[in-house]
Amino acid sequence: MANVSPADSSSQPFLARHEFLIRRLHSLSGLVPVGAYMVVHLLTNASVLESPAAFQRNVYGIHSLGRLLPVVEWVFIFIPILFHAIIGVAIIRGGLPNHGSYPYARNIRYSLQRASGIVAFFFIAWHVFHMHGWFHADWWLKTVATPLAGAQFKAFNATSTAGSAIQQHWLVSVFYAIGILACVFHLANGIWTMGITWGVWVGPIAQRRAAAVCTAGGIALAAVGLGALGGMATVDVEKAKQVEDRMFHHKLEAGEVPNDSHKRTDGDHKDDGQPADMARK
Amino acid sequence: MNAPSANASNGHSVSASKSDHPEFFQVRVLRQDQPGGDCYWQRYRVRYESDMNVISVLQRIAAQGVTMDGRAVAPVAWDCNCLEEICGACTMVINGRVRQACSALVDRLLADNPQEIELRPMTKFPVVRDLVVDRSRLFRALQRVRAWIDVDGYQDQGAGPRVSREDQEQAYPLSQCMSCGCCLEACPQYTKIEVLQQAGESAAEAQARTEAAYDHGFMGAHAISQAVLFNTHPTGQMAASQRLEQLTAEGGIQVCGNAQNCVAVCPKQIPLTTSIARAGRAVTVWAWKKWFDR
Amino acid sequence: MSKQRVVVVGGGLAGLAAAMKLAESQVQVDLMSLTPVKRSHSVCAQGGINSVNEQTRQLGDSEWKHFDDTVYGGDFLQHQPLVKEMTEWAPRIIDLLDRLGVTFNRTPEGYLDRRRFGGTLFKRTAFAGATTGQQLLYALDEQVRRWESEGRIQKYEFWDFLGPVIDDRGICRGCAAQHLLTMEIRVFPADAVIIATGGCGLIYGRSTMSMACTGSAASRCFQVGAKYANPEFIQVHPTAVPGADKLRLMSESARGEGGRVWVPRRPHDPRDPLQIPEDERYYFLEERYPKYGNLVPRDIATREIFNVCVREGLSVEPDRQCVYLDLTHIDRHELDRKIAGILEIYEKFQGVDPRDVPMKIFPAVHYSMGGMWVDYQRSADGGLVLNSPTNHVTNIPGLYAIGECDYQYHGANRLGANSLVSCIVSGLVVGTGVETLLKGLPHGAAADQPAALFATALSQHEHMHHQLLNRPNGRENPYLLHQQLGEIMTKAATVVRTNDVLDQAYGQVSELAERARHCSLSDTGQWTNQNVVFTKALLDMFPLAKAILKGARMRDECRGAHFKPDFAPEGISEGSPTERRQQAEAWCDRFEEGNRRWLKTTVADWRDHEPAISYEDVDVGLIPPRPRLYGLVGAEVIEDVWRERSARRPAQSSQGSAQGASKPQPKPVGA
Repeated sequence: MANVSPADSSSQPFLARHEFLIRRLHSLSGLVPVGAYMVVHLLTNASVLESPAAFQRNVYGIHSLGRLLPVVEWVFIFIPILFHAIIGVAIIRGGLPNHGSYPYARNIRYSLQRASGIVAFFFIAWHVFHMHGWFHADWWLKTVATPLAGAQFKAFNATSTAGSAIQQHWLVSVFYAIGILACVFHLANGIWTMGITWGVWVGPIAQRRAAAVCTAGGIALAAVGLGALGGMATVDVEKAKQVEDRMFHHKLEAGEVPNDSHKRTDGDHKDDGQPADMARK
Repeated sequence: MNAPSANASNGHSVSASKSDHPEFFQVRVLRQDQPGGDCYWQRYRVRYESDMNVISVLQRIAAQGVTMDGRAVAPVAWDCNCLEEICGACTMVINGRVRQACSALVDRLLADNPQEIELRPMTKFPVVRDLVVDRSRLFRALQRVRAWIDVDGYQDQGAGPRVSREDQEQAYPLSQCMSCGCCLEACPQYTKIEVLQQAGESAAEAQARTEAAYDHGFMGAHAISQAVLFNTHPTGQMAASQRLEQLTAEGGIQVCGNAQNCVAVCPKQIPLTTSIARAGRAVTVWAWKKWFDR
Repeated sequence: MSKQRVVVVGGGLAGLAAAMKLAESQVQVDLMSLTPVKRSHSVCAQGGINSVNEQTRQLGDSEWKHFDDTVYGGDFLQHQPLVKEMTEWAPRIIDLLDRLGVTFNRTPEGYLDRRRFGGTLFKRTAFAGATTGQQLLYALDEQVRRWESEGRIQKYEFWDFLGPVIDDRGICRGCAAQHLLTMEIRVFPADAVIIATGGCGLIYGRSTMSMACTGSAASRCFQVGAKYANPEFIQVHPTAVPGADKLRLMSESARGEGGRVWVPRRPHDPRDPLQIPEDERYYFLEERYPKYGNLVPRDIATREIFNVCVREGLSVEPDRQCVYLDLTHIDRHELDRKIAGILEIYEKFQGVDPRDVPMKIFPAVHYSMGGMWVDYQRSADGGLVLNSPTNHVTNIPGLYAIGECDYQYHGANRLGANSLVSCIVSGLVVGTGVETLLKGLPHGAAADQPAALFATALSQHEHMHHQLLNRPNGRENPYLLHQQLGEIMTKAATVVRTNDVLDQAYGQVSELAERARHCSLSDTGQWTNQNVVFTKALLDMFPLAKAILKGARMRDECRGAHFKPDFAPEGISEGSPTERRQQAEAWCDRFEEGNRRWLKTTVADWRDHEPAISYEDVDVGLIPPRPRLYGLVGAEVIEDVWRERSARRPAQSSQGSAQGASKPQPKPVGA
């Protein structure tokens, strides 16, 4: 009679052997850094509602990291998102949603968590391409990203570039709305299931309370996210650009920012010394 | 035993007439002749009697031995024993929902769907024949989590540990698990594992392969809950780390996707999701200690 | 030692207890069961498990009193050494179960809570909600799984026992069995085969028993020479809920927790039961048995309920027999804490909440006191010689029987919450006895028997199986025959028995048995053929059914569950004290005469396809029989007369009374 001992069989493949650790890291990565980043990101973006300058100020704050920024982006944002997404896909493949037969609210949320994860995955991939371009190597930007309408966001022209990217077509706003809602749901529901997974809320009453808190938090975050989208969709791009350029020159003069063409709309004229619109003035 | 009038066994002679019921109703059964074989639907017509449950429907079908179109067929195979929803044998999918056949009352099923009653075998376990499935994976999982108390022996050693009323009231619901498999059938994370005996392979070899496959699959809510039950018992606790080790092995608690169907379909209303969360907390603490205490 | 094997047939409490005990002693066990052992019928036991305990001891209880209650409740038909042994083990059995993690209900201080059960005045019954059998079975199932994972026990679940393999010296060398899925037939050589297959309630069609309780294993042993004892003693449980497929048990614990049985004084009173005022309710058990109230022994409660409905016409409903079992006066929380399990069953199957509305219940066939005849070795102090391989052996060496399927412990009527004790005790007793047997093996080892013995047995069973599959199709439908058998047996051999009905039933059953030989099989396949398995079980019901009927027909008296109004002692009529006294004297004379004639074990032998009945004396050496009245109102004078008579007799058996037996020496539960 064979003994039951999957726990100590070292012949298993790495992923199977470390399934617990991987799943827990997946759970954790959803909250920190991915979820936390998303909250910061949406809050930052929502500052556009205050004024384009406010948003720009925030972006400058982020970009004050300078050369470290790509490292931070990759280590704390892109890789965790990719990890979360890839493991997530593996998890989704291991399950068989059955909300048709068992249409209980929590089961529907289980299915929605997976659906929203997939939506979020594609949305984030596209969104990062659309705004950031994925990579900032020249050849990539020139031959792939820019021709494919990616890499539209320029950090030193934050509001105007983001605004114009969103305002390209009404469909872009729709996609963003869907994407933001999917991400927000995924995070809010994910925090709720995470609390069970890690044993934070245990009993049914505690779980119900936690669900209420997560719902409230999700609604608030959705409001922030949609607010940010609305702000970007309605911002006056031209005016914003003027503000941004003024800010840029102040900063440039103060030596607070490098003259990085990648981060500016008019980056091609970087030897010019005078921004085009200032010259026009 | 029964008094003369209550003694009617081919149909109740008398019953509080419960309004208008059809004289007959239809039953649709998903049949399969052998493991790995094709499945097919068969329809039966059953005469309505009061107080019927799905077991008595299957008994009538076996007794009449013909389908709706009059074809003589082998009786439908099904599993049952106690008929009072405590042995866990007669689990099947009735009108799309997993439950025990004995407590599935015909009046209520017909109230939901007057057209017919649909019976299918559970989908997460290999079909043996018709409505009979092989649930050995379920029992295997109980071995995995060491769902027992390692007593020294069966000699007289006095009473067991004292247990507070509160602890008993928390443990008792968990110990009511009858291994029926409802929680596993409804679980979207629990997927079917079926190993068929290959040509040239002995039954024992196939068995070993099956068990190995089972041991890598998800153990399911019932096993997690049993681990919690024994890990909270004063004596059982002494082997807690072995059970936690198993809970964090492949196919352990981490596979749970928190759909919480288990607790919704459990016929014994066992607080399975509470057990899962408690186990989640326990493995969190335990894993932390395991990695950082040494 | 390594080649020695023991087969345990049946995975209920008794079988699991035996298996785990043997495994602990390094014996290799093959555990065979029709169902996964966790689904055995023991799960249906609800109320609890009896033993004297510290609380009752303070009130004057002792092992001896438990023993006395048990033999009094069983109308003195049991061999007393086993009962004495059982009641002495009982507290230690409960300790063991407690250690195994059974979730017994607790007192606020953390000790085991107890309740009162029928046939006693002490709160002896430990319980785990109202699913005690389930909890006990699971504890043993877990232990067996533990041994299984260590390779000590090999389970054969979904295997149907076909019969013992008996050599030409009449010694059991193993058994044959068939896999219910693959239909493979196999022989299992074994140095001991332990039958622990429970009762035979399915002979009655619908009963409180599970679908596996066909009695087929016992019958298959009976038909090859094992004796079957006290077949006519079938317990009809007073409180069950009628259903189309099954009569569902409503545990005695409902009364143990204060439930009251009553009917409206006005026949078929149409009012809502809660609206019927107290003085218009007839609490017939409490009125007639003020001392025991609703907790008289089961045979008495059953007869009283039956009488109130059938003879007095006071059934609650006009077209169906039932009485009220009322819990509505008890606090809901208390009910949920102690008996939620059975209340949920009622709620689920009847759609009514018994916490709000009195339940409607009626008696149902529940337990078989009789069973396979087994031996025992009496010790000098009137108990058992532990470790003796004679304990629980049938008349076929090497073949053992334990649990409900043996006939010991309960006599003519079982007390509630005693069966769980008897199952576990007999399992542990047989475990130690068989261990001794394996050390000696007076008849040689099974492994040394010629292969031809097993090959022949195998081919015989295969031949029988194929004959059944291939014989020309008759017209008889096994399922309908089973229904008819159930109706006949229910009518003839339950609460009230008369010789003419029994005679008629015997003829009808013989005729059915003949017709069953022409059963048509609707499935002749070789894969999971439940049709042929059921037909085999049906065919094997007839010998036991005949033994039950014949045993009942021949026993012209009333004893425990066996009640024949034609032979019932007359009650004491109204009259002057002298007249009443005379009547009581006559009553006691008849009682003594009755005991001389009938205080005997019925032993059935299967000869020429009919049961042959003989009688054996019962060992009543410790507690002499006495009239069993339970303080019936109006019968006090009989007890007075009997007391005087007993006092006149030489004091031979009072040595073991309550104080004398105080606390026995600790004895190992299993060793």
